[in-house]
Amino acid sequence: MTDQILTTTGDHPDGTPPEGLVLPAGAGRLTPATEPVLSVRDLHVSFASEAGTVRAVRGVSFDLLPARTLGIVGESGSGKSVTSLSIMGLLDQNARVEGSIRLKGTELLGKTELEMSKHRGNDMAMVFQDPLSALTPVFSIGDQLAEALDLHQDLTRKQVRDRSVELLDLVGIPNPAERLKSFPHQFSGGMRQRVMIAIAIANDPDVIIADEPTTALDVTIQAQVLEVLKKAQRETGAAVVMITHDLGVVAGVADDVLVMYAGRPVEQAPVDELFARPAMPYTMGLLGAVPRPDRGENRRLVPIQGNPPSLVDLPVGCPFADRCPLVEDRCRTAEPPLAPVPGRVDQRAACVRVDEIVAEGLTFEDVYPVGEAAESGLDGVPREEREVVLEVTDLKKHFPLTKGGFLRRRAGTVKAVDGVTFDVRAGETLALVGESGSGKTTTLLEIMRLQAPQGGTVAVLGKNLAELARPERAALRRELQIVFQDPQSSMDPRLPVYDILAEPLKVHGWSRARTNERISELMRLVGLNPDHVDRFPTQFSGGQRQRIAIARALAVGPRLVVLDEPVSALDVSIQAGVINLLEDLQAQLGVAFLFVAHDLSVIRHISSRTAVMYLGQVVEQGDTEAVFTAPRHPYTQALLSAVPLPDPQLERQRRRVVLQGDLPSPAQEIVGCRFASRCPVRAALPADRRTLCDTVQPGLATGAVPGTDHGAACHYPLTSSAAEDVRVPSRA
Amino acid sequence: MVRFLVRRLANYVVLLFVAVSFTYFVASYFMDPRSNYLSRHPIPPKASIDLSLTAANINDEDPLLGRYWRWLTNIVLHWNWGLSPDQDPVGAAVSGRIGASLQLVTLATILSIVVGVAIGVFTAIRQYRWQDRVLGGLATFFLVIPTAVLALFVVLGAIWINKGLGFRLFYVTGLHSYEGSQFGPWLLDFLQHLVLPTIVLTIISAVTYHLTQRTYLLDTMNADYVRTARAKGLPLNKAIRKHALRTSLIPTAVNVAFSIASVFTGAVITESVFAINGLGRYFVTTIQQNDINGAVCIAAFAGACTLAGALLADVVVAWLDPRVRLS
Repeated sequence: MTDQILTTTGDHPDGTPPEGLVLPAGAGRLTPATEPVLSVRDLHVSFASEAGTVRAVRGVSFDLLPARTLGIVGESGSGKSVTSLSIMGLLDQNARVEGSIRLKGTELLGKTELEMSKHRGNDMAMVFQDPLSALTPVFSIGDQLAEALDLHQDLTRKQVRDRSVELLDLVGIPNPAERLKSFPHQFSGGMRQRVMIAIAIANDPDVIIADEPTTALDVTIQAQVLEVLKKAQRETGAAVVMITHDLGVVAGVADDVLVMYAGRPVEQAPVDELFARPAMPYTMGLLGAVPRPDRGENRRLVPIQGNPPSLVDLPVGCPFADRCPLVEDRCRTAEPPLAPVPGRVDQRAACVRVDEIVAEGLTFEDVYPVGEAAESGLDGVPREEREVVLEVTDLKKHFPLTKGGFLRRRAGTVKAVDGVTFDVRAGETLALVGESGSGKTTTLLEIMRLQAPQGGTVAVLGKNLAELARPERAALRRELQIVFQDPQSSMDPRLPVYDILAEPLKVHGWSRARTNERISELMRLVGLNPDHVDRFPTQFSGGQRQRIAIARALAVGPRLVVLDEPVSALDVSIQAGVINLLEDLQAQLGVAFLFVAHDLSVIRHISSRTAVMYLGQVVEQGDTEAVFTAPRHPYTQALLSAVPLPDPQLERQRRRVVLQGDLPSPAQEIVGCRFASRCPVRAALPADRRTLCDTVQPGLATGAVPGTDHGAACHYPLTSSAAEDVRVPSRA
Repeated sequence: MVRFLVRRLANYVVLLFVAVSFTYFVASYFMDPRSNYLSRHPIPPKASIDLSLTAANINDEDPLLGRYWRWLTNIVLHWNWGLSPDQDPVGAAVSGRIGASLQLVTLATILSIVVGVAIGVFTAIRQYRWQDRVLGGLATFFLVIPTAVLALFVVLGAIWINKGLGFRLFYVTGLHSYEGSQFGPWLLDFLQHLVLPTIVLTIISAVTYHLTQRTYLLDTMNADYVRTARAKGLPLNKAIRKHALRTSLIPTAVNVAFSIASVFTGAVITESVFAINGLGRYFVTTIQQNDINGAVCIAAFAGACTLAGALLADVVVAWLDPRVRLS
């Protein structure tokens, strides 16, 4: 009943066009319309650590006007979260905070914990990143909401209850009165984040700080939560500080953007200006490095070379100098201040060459050298003629759910993977995409096990796993390798890189001399210095560690590499380099990739074929371009429309299919189509045609589009004209 | 809830039966009451040894299963736990000592939990400040010092105080010496006896609760939900007390519940130093004297305590933590 199509345009909350209403600090603007609710001046935060003083924030200033949204963007370690925590006064006691933070004219710095607690939750509130751990597990939702209300208002029990119901209703929690008694573990991640927003707006705050509020959520849930946040802002008239690393989210919600790098704001501008005409090379690099879900794969990403500097030992001069393609000698003498960009209203950048950049109208294509993609030997070979490297047919993996202490009884079945069929051919990348719980990782692990699956068949290089003898299975291991999401935990921290890379070679009986030669070759292949093989994994940065993991997977020359979210733990500027590397490796070596990811932008960029999974089944499969431009399954369509685009103008124009509700529990018995409970197409159907969806499970029907193997598991697949309406808009 | 408890209880009764029967067989196999008589001078005639052993149902020449069956039917039908080699009823001896142990350990257990958890919370909130360091050092000291040494120091201190005062404020042996029937003087006398062993028992178990509770609270007080509570407007200390403490009490509650059995039977050294006839000393004695029935009876009691503790732990955890569902 709760399912319906919610199409929204990306209008700004109050319907006004986003003009630069947020005053840049110190910029002598004329009389502002309103007083700023929050005004930060020259904020410095440092921590004492064993390595020395960590200067996490160095001179942040901004003004925030009522009902406006300021996006703070930056990569990990840029100081954006520390900035928000210092505004709330929630930093550890060993933090030194200097400067000025004024909330409605009241200076917050220097207040005691008790005085600060009168402001927190009352006139300023915060929404945190991880909704799973942000609510106390042992108190009911109602108690936690009531606590927020009781701390700042003098209400009767009945008033508290009524207000709580009203708040939960506002953030879109069904049956709010009954849900008050529920505990956090009975809610999904998206629902918990809604509760967090309800708590944050309980006392009508003037400022809401949202610190990566959707980073831990799936993309369709992210779209829901961002809607709720906008609605909450509309209801309370609060100003929002949105902290995120996701340029798409910023483009969708922010009026103004502050880009941070190494603890400093390096550029500040209204959102349209910033995305259209960035003036600081770092901002340009960020925008160039992010893959676009609305563009085809042919554009090569532009990684920013190197890594951010250590905050303990900052270089003299511009902290970005070492990674900047426009670097000059004067960049290394003094750190440039955040100064107004000549000829632009409200835009400020910290770069000594900003005059040139503006005068010559430089864009990131001019600034960053776009590398050449490696040529692939398989480029001319049509897909049908390529060798099938992996063939998965009707794969099933069910887990029993048991109950009871001594005598375990079967209480149900989790159908983690339930009839998955796909194939991967030589030199291509198949992306498995889906939200958490869709069965992507289980599918990978079933393949990697190299054993007969519970149901269906898996054939690697034409050999059916069910019929393999032991020695054959051992030999097949060499052809199939894996790269995990977190390179930190997938490598033994006590082994030097040499041993990490030598291990697979040793297992497969390589001689010492050949091993040495191979390791140098591998290090060069993934763009690392071969002399660094005696270092330990912790001495490398995240991106370099992932390169080592890729080198390890490639060591024995596999035909197929399985990549489980290989770039999702990396920052955007680093991620671009790894994606480029993967593309080059595939072209050079002809290796096939089975790529699991939740980030549709990365998938569109890297993969040639895409399979969309929902609740253990593939609901749509085909060439990536076809799936992205003409989705046929309503779930694919919703997924695509939920991806935020790093382009504020497109974000505002686009219509979104916001799915209602959450993924059903995988233990639930579903007779008909698994997507039926959330399907906007089914909801719009007359009752007699819905019966089909509710009773018959649709198969993956291919051949609907002549000449392709593009298929969708839907009784009423979208025609291309219906898909046109909401699909990712394109500026081309 | 009631259904859950009944089902658990039924499970535990079966478990206890199996464990106690197993103990009976093991004890019968390893313990040799006949040797009690063979070491006497002069050695009594075999017929009279057999007679007394058979009377106590511990004669190793009778078939084991027959002895086991007699032992079991006696318990089930008459609640008779058998005789010691000296022909004393084991049940009466154990129940009397349960009473003594109960008097000795109840107050100490409650005190040690309250004091230990309180200090644990106090020091966790003040992590690495001087209070934490001093109390932590003290806890380590009491953790390593042998109970006997600690008990003797307490006794010495009490005697010194008694001497200084000129009258006997603290008694250092037994639990009672008043023989009248008035409640007031009886209680006073009881407390005078109880203070010293209670101090010893409280200290030795409070330090473990202190150290574990400190760790548990440190784990939870940096949790995201404590930060959320602060963001709502609770000051730091209140946020910790309200949101972190309850979750951190869950493992402590389990520890407490499972320690019930060892509290009863584990106070051997304290009982010895203060000459109290508790279960701990009796347990040791039964083993020394090859008292099969006595040892098994105590094992049964300890087993029952453990399972009662487990049941209690289930209930308390379910009450503290809504994620645990009793169904």
